[in-house]
Amino acid sequence: MTQTCAIFLEAYRSLNSKKLFWITLVLSGLVALCFAAVGLNEHGLKILFWQFDNEIINSKQIPVDQFYKGLFLQIGIGTWLSWIASILALISTAGIFPDLMTAGSIDLFVSKPIGRLRLFFTEYLAGLLFAALQVTIFTVACFLVMGLRGGVWEPGLFLAVPIVVCFFSYLFSVCVFLGVATRSTIAALLLTLLFWFGIWAVGTAERTLLFFKTMQHHGASVAAVQAEQNRPMPKSRGVVDRSKPSPRADRPPAAEKEASKEENESAALNVAYNIFYGIKTALPKTTDTIELLERSLMKAAKLPQSSHPEEKRMTAAQQEIIDVLRGRSIAWVLGTSLGFEAVVLCFAALVFCRRDY
Amino acid sequence: MVDLAVDLRDVAKTYRRRVEALRGIQMQVRTGEIFGLLGSNGAGKTTLVKIMMTVIRPNRAEGTILGRPIGHKGTLARVGYLPEHLRFPPYLTGRQNLEFFAALAKVRRPARKQRAAELLDLVGLTNWANAKVGTYSKGMRQRVGLAQALVNDPDLLVLDEPTDGLDPVGRREVREVLGRLRDQGKTIFLNSHMLSEVERVCDRVAILASGKVIRQGTLAELTAGSEHFEIQLHGQVNAAMRAAIRAALECELTPAAASAVFAASASSILPRETGKLPNGETVDVDGNILRIASGDPLRIQPIIDGLRSRGQVILSVQRLTQSLEDYFVQTVSESPSQRSLQGQGVRR
Repeated sequence: MTQTCAIFLEAYRSLNSKKLFWITLVLSGLVALCFAAVGLNEHGLKILFWQFDNEIINSKQIPVDQFYKGLFLQIGIGTWLSWIASILALISTAGIFPDLMTAGSIDLFVSKPIGRLRLFFTEYLAGLLFAALQVTIFTVACFLVMGLRGGVWEPGLFLAVPIVVCFFSYLFSVCVFLGVATRSTIAALLLTLLFWFGIWAVGTAERTLLFFKTMQHHGASVAAVQAEQNRPMPKSRGVVDRSKPSPRADRPPAAEKEASKEENESAALNVAYNIFYGIKTALPKTTDTIELLERSLMKAAKLPQSSHPEEKRMTAAQQEIIDVLRGRSIAWVLGTSLGFEAVVLCFAALVFCRRDY
Repeated sequence: MVDLAVDLRDVAKTYRRRVEALRGIQMQVRTGEIFGLLGSNGAGKTTLVKIMMTVIRPNRAEGTILGRPIGHKGTLARVGYLPEHLRFPPYLTGRQNLEFFAALAKVRRPARKQRAAELLDLVGLTNWANAKVGTYSKGMRQRVGLAQALVNDPDLLVLDEPTDGLDPVGRREVREVLGRLRDQGKTIFLNSHMLSEVERVCDRVAILASGKVIRQGTLAELTAGSEHFEIQLHGQVNAAMRAAIRAALECELTPAAASAVFAASASSILPRETGKLPNGETVDVDGNILRIASGDPLRIQPIIDGLRSRGQVILSVQRLTQSLEDYFVQTVSESPSQRSLQGQGVRR
């Protein structure tokens, strides 16, 4: 325990000595201050002393707690913590293992009565300290701002701490593996950012394919919706539900051909989606992890129903996508991501423990 | 039975690409002595030290350190280590560094602060205790390194180039510290290129060449038989002087190849010559200097008489023992593996 505490204390002092730690902290404070500057009343938004009247964004339309939670989730977590602060955190922590493994430094550590495996995991956890400290301070600040400014005391906000640390740990594990393998801070950082871009691209591709797949299933098309919005709806015309195709026997040959083409496209879309879903399952799910916080803080609102048939189909498709995404189990989101992290860390630990310094 | 602090038997290490760094090291370090490890660059000294300190994993290692098998982590709580080119966390002060590494060495909290203060005083850095190590000079960092090695009050101290970066005063202070530690019964394992340092402080030494221990023993044991007399004549070195020497020696002299035993060479216009005296001792004539490979003063009296009777003036007569440096150079150059390496170098 003495050794573990000493390593944590040393990690804290290391963070303390880094300007970037303080810069990130100051920026977090500024983001929290921005929250504090925004108020919502029955007329609209009030930013500092200026009132901006708005018919949609006001406390009559949006409950104050939902407004602040949305602000916290979209800007505080969605943009600040899970993108900008995470990049700054990676920059600050990418050097932990390459620095530790420098000749003359590693000798001092591994020649002490502490096992290499324990040293590795203690240093890894010490690295997560950066993210944990930043998120905790930011969340406390936002909790106070929401309470004092909006009168909303939401303890659920503190779920951001484990969720964002968990999200950061996926990237940090990759960064640690690359740092241990290459012993270069720059290489570890750049390759981690590349990996992050890669998993983001896979996630985006999977969601896009899910969107098209669901749209096709519901027979909705963005072009058709746009076209329909541009012309007045005839009162006498009945609504044709394209999600329920007519019997084949009634179809003319051209329609048969069209249907066959659509079926082929649908099958190809399904295959592509399944491939990306499979790849995504094996990889850490950064976006889905952050969305867990949204799931817990915000109730899913039902989308407004439209009278236009194409828009109706579109809404149904969008609702299904939301349901699919929200329906993904926590075990799938966190379990498979943490599984990936565990495998990467095992490889990194293996390299760290077996290496001659 | 001798109590051994370090008892290495068959320690071997082959790096990737089949580079054999150590080829079955056998080495014993007695408790309470200062032991010096010598060897030329690439001999495997640092690899051996790192294997002892579990920094490098050996392919084969039998033996014990402080009575426990090599690689036993718990034993390291009783060992202090100063690595070569050490690098401390630069954002910690000298005191914080000592306390941090003391904690890693499992020193209890109350003892850590006291020990750090004592050691900073010992290495003369009390006034710099609260300055960040990043602001220290190389010599100061080396001093903190030595203090760090002592922070757990170790029974065995392993020092890799401890005087690296230190000025002469600092080197003397380190020697004094090592002497005091030996008096306290600590065992010190010293790896150093500074042969003069090793000669001054070590009780026993081992010489490593191409991954093998080629010599091991006390300095007296190693240099035994290297005692010789050196007679220096007064006057200009010329053919007449050489003829007088030849006549006085009563032996055949032949041009000599470079000898490591008599490594010091006087500049001379005449070639260096060697021969064997009637009673078997080797004699070496280099300019106006005669070296007779015998420690017995009776053996050189006839030669002195012979030289004087031929009009030669004797400037000095000295009884000398081979220095560790000379012994090291001779031993390493005579080592078969070293010769083989040199041969490979020539072929390349």
